[in-house]
Amino acid sequence: MREVITAPLPGLDLRRHYGHFQSPAIRAGGLIFCSGMIPVDPHTGERLHGTLTSEAHVIFGNLKLLLEAAGSSLDRLVQVHALIYDSIEYDVLNRVYRQYVANGPPARTVWSAQIEAGFKVQLDVIAAA
Amino acid sequence: MTSHRLPRSRVEPANPLLNVSRSANLPHVPGIRIGDYVFLSGMGPIDPLTGERKHGPIAEQVRTTLNNVKHMLESAGSSLERVVRVHVVLADIADIAEMDRVYREFFPVDPPARSAWSMQLRFGNGCEIECVALVS
Amino acid sequence: MSLLRAVIAPPLPGPGAKRAFNGQASAAVRGGAFVFVSGLTSVDPATGEAIRGTTARETQRVLENLKLILEAAGSSLARVVKVNVLVHSMLEAPNMNEIYARFFPEPPPARTVCGARLPHGAKVMIECTALAPDDQP
Repeated sequence: MREVITAPLPGLDLRRHYGHFQSPAIRAGGLIFCSGMIPVDPHTGERLHGTLTSEAHVIFGNLKLLLEAAGSSLDRLVQVHALIYDSIEYDVLNRVYRQYVANGPPARTVWSAQIEAGFKVQLDVIAAA
Repeated sequence: MTSHRLPRSRVEPANPLLNVSRSANLPHVPGIRIGDYVFLSGMGPIDPLTGERKHGPIAEQVRTTLNNVKHMLESAGSSLERVVRVHVVLADIADIAEMDRVYREFFPVDPPARSAWSMQLRFGNGCEIECVALVS
Repeated sequence: MSLLRAVIAPPLPGPGAKRAFNGQASAAVRGGAFVFVSGLTSVDPATGEAIRGTTARETQRVLENLKLILEAAGSSLARVVKVNVLVHSMLEAPNMNEIYARFFPEPPPARTVCGARLPHGAKVMIECTALAPDDQP
């Protein structure tokens, strides 16, 4: 069974705002596969560029909304690919990241990658349903 | 369709020197078991005898890393044979042939799905390897 | 009882198809409820020869091959749950997206796109996870 998790707020519909041919998340086999989350305003979809810290806060807020709409939560994260634009910000990422996964963090791999729209961070996550 | 939640638990390596999450106080765990799968965090070339980074030629780094992955999988009740997906990230894409040479020793038969590419890696590591495996 | 883990045989016969992955990876592996497909780059599916071109052309070739592999696994593009796309430059992401949108039926899978250095000068690499057939536990 493959089920689409629709955007709980209009700003999280990246297909509508940016033409990304994707669903916000898909639930299947007891897992929730989320599209890479970027720092956009969850109401308007506006890009919220900032520091890696500010962008990460927005991303986690968006993931919380999306996962909770799907009956899951940040506490049920299984695996994260944390994309950062430069590995020099690794410690900065950790400082924000740990605030959101205190109750049993998931597995993680950090990828230093080129991210869309010049964002400094993006989170690609799988959670348990 | 089942509506119950899959059990989720952390997995840790039997060898604590390979538990970088703990030793470096990082906000992740070495692996998460969820239902029939285990998802491992990316692992690098850590010497299992000292817990220190072990660099050198890429072939040796890949061998060290895959031995660590093997240990981690076995600590989680899985094995290299049960791996379904691997991500190999190399600091230098030119290392791919050397990486392949060692990699095939660890997955000689019915290898898992794999994606290999290059990105900037931390700590001067030449490789980072992440995988998903079946546990049952 | 051990969960089913099975390598998916290449969709076309011949050593070339296996060579497409240098024998180091299976094109796809079924594990439990899912099919895990390797990161695919643009190759001739019969010979394994790399086919370089624009990002759009390479995306087309990759997705055509992906369709074949999924069908060989008893799955399909409609059963894909998550895709990871790596492009050699994020400037090319819109070109990739335009082709990509023609392949996946509604509603599309979840997706993450990022830029990285790819092997052998490839412009795009696509991996995905799909639902296996419902036939076995």
